[in-house]
Amino acid sequence: MSALERLLGEFAALGAPAGAQRAAAAALRANGLPTRRDENWHYADLRALEGVAQFRSAAPAHRDATPPLPLPEPLEGYTRLVYVDGVLSDTRSLQNSPTLTRLPVESALAAQAAATDYESSGDGRMGLIARMFAPDPLALQVTGSAALEILHLASSAAANCHSHVSIDIAAGAHLTLVERQLGHPAAAADSQPPATLYCSSLELRLGAGAQLRHTRLQQATGHSLRFNTLAADLAADASYVLCQVAAGDGSERNTALTRLQGRAACVRTHALAAARGTQAADSQFTVVHEAPGTRSEQVFRGIASDRAHVSCSADVRAEASAPGARVQQTLRGLIDGHGAVVNLRPRLTINTDDIQAQHGATTGRLDEDLLYYLLARGLEPATARSLLKWALLGEVLAAIEPPALRRAAERAAAAQLRDATATELLQ
Amino acid sequence: MSAPLLQVDGLRVSVAGTPVLHGVSLTVRAGEVHAIMGPNGSGKSTLAHVLAGRSGYAVTAGSVRFDGVDLLAMAPEERARAGLFLGFQYPVEIPGVNNAYLLKAALNARRRARGESEIDAFDFLNMVRAKMRVMQIDEALLTRGVNEGFSGGEKKRNEILQMLVLEPRLALLDETDSGLDIDALKVVGRGINTLRSPERAVVLVTHYQRLLDHVVPDQVHVLARGRIIKSGDRELALELERRGYDWLLEAAAAVA
Repeated sequence: MSALERLLGEFAALGAPAGAQRAAAAALRANGLPTRRDENWHYADLRALEGVAQFRSAAPAHRDATPPLPLPEPLEGYTRLVYVDGVLSDTRSLQNSPTLTRLPVESALAAQAAATDYESSGDGRMGLIARMFAPDPLALQVTGSAALEILHLASSAAANCHSHVSIDIAAGAHLTLVERQLGHPAAAADSQPPATLYCSSLELRLGAGAQLRHTRLQQATGHSLRFNTLAADLAADASYVLCQVAAGDGSERNTALTRLQGRAACVRTHALAAARGTQAADSQFTVVHEAPGTRSEQVFRGIASDRAHVSCSADVRAEASAPGARVQQTLRGLIDGHGAVVNLRPRLTINTDDIQAQHGATTGRLDEDLLYYLLARGLEPATARSLLKWALLGEVLAAIEPPALRRAAERAAAAQLRDATATELLQ
Repeated sequence: MSAPLLQVDGLRVSVAGTPVLHGVSLTVRAGEVHAIMGPNGSGKSTLAHVLAGRSGYAVTAGSVRFDGVDLLAMAPEERARAGLFLGFQYPVEIPGVNNAYLLKAALNARRRARGESEIDAFDFLNMVRAKMRVMQIDEALLTRGVNEGFSGGEKKRNEILQMLVLEPRLALLDETDSGLDIDALKVVGRGINTLRSPERAVVLVTHYQRLLDHVVPDQVHVLARGRIIKSGDRELALELERRGYDWLLEAAAAVA
């Protein structure tokens, strides 16, 4: 039985799914799962889906149960939400935040039931799995200024974690959002299936002049399989900064679509992927400029060690309705193993005559000239190599705020790269 | 007379199968400054990189001893830690690795090799700042990436700053004067002179004698077509400035 048939079969066995869940299942039934024949899924590890024993979450964890991990230190000033196996374990902190409002999920998601092509048949299709199986969909509205931290944990090495979060940021409001996808520590030692399956769907709507600073840190360990799907719509003068660090997972695919719908809206994406062993990290960042004077910047840095695969497609479309758009893409990949593979695809589709666009992509091994320079100063080869790798990642890591989170991201990247030198320096 | 700090004997080197150095011999003692001059393509930079340990150069004959030890058997970082410094003709830019970190890491690597403890962070900063003043380098460059966005002159001054911080026993400066204006040349010359001492030696690789107005050499060697074809004192450099290299090349060809 194919993965799609098993998915739909498990969904049919769910008791009384909500309307939004049924709509997601219908879309998946109609359009199917992506395959590697789809250009934007060419480098994703879709075969891993066939090995998933169960798609839905197992027995839901108890609400208010003690989370299975020692949680990271809270970030000062942030409201914290904790998901365990996709179940919100504690929402009391939301009650103390006057600028964060939890909306009735049924009505909020029903209002969005008419999924776009992206979500129903395009690159966002894997988000349908999250919509179908997320035990605790969440809809939030931000007014004023807010800081929100969302932790995603697994209760065991084989637990599935699905989440569906929708956030409306009102006109002029500011949100600092931190997502940490942590997994379960037992998974670190267990490199074999059964895999943990993580599917997340995050929808963001930014009103006029709204600002969102979003940091996503993926540091699950072991043989996990992750599909993150994100869609962001920006009204005029809205600003969205996404810093994403992918430092874990057996196989992961991050899909993001940002639509710059209002005049002078802007998005900056700083993403990093570090993979080792036989891991596969695939990213697809799409930005559509739909309005005049919109700006986008995409920075990607990837390191593939051992026999890992790292790929990134940065796809920008500037429509005829977006004169004066400014686009910048820089993608850099480092091949750090004999069997490692890096695929970078910068793509620009320009349908307007008035645009400033820069893009570039480079992939290669460590620069021998740089290495020699450092060795000629007396540095150990391991230290020199480590420095050069960190230099590559530094641009993304340096953009992470607050500092406590940046240090966590640096430690995660150092652990992922098995970089003893960096780990020691970060102590 | 003291024992040689650097002893090069009959060094022959090929690059991608093409012979470049055809038997270079050179003796440098502590306290001395040598200048190696020569026309383009004569093998000056090849000699500097072979001494510093760059890969891609095949030593086909000869030997090099540094302070009595077989230099060619050492890895580049071991040579540096033993006290050999190469000032690059084209210093590379390393965005993301800041100058202060590199200087400190390099200094501590050298200190550890000498059995010394790592330098205290406060002492390090004080020492580096003092040397930056000598080299007229803005302190803000400490926190920038190595040579990132530096002008040509700043890169060369940064090389000399690294040299002053690391205090090598032997400094090989590969065309450190190229691309410098007159004022920058004076600053670089002052930096090199700061390092001169009875325990250290300097080998300047240069096209022109103008640097030698500021750093007076004890010996001048002319390297041409992979051989040292003439050695002399500072007067030789002045004569080269007046007459060029052709007369020496013709004389060398006649002898050959």
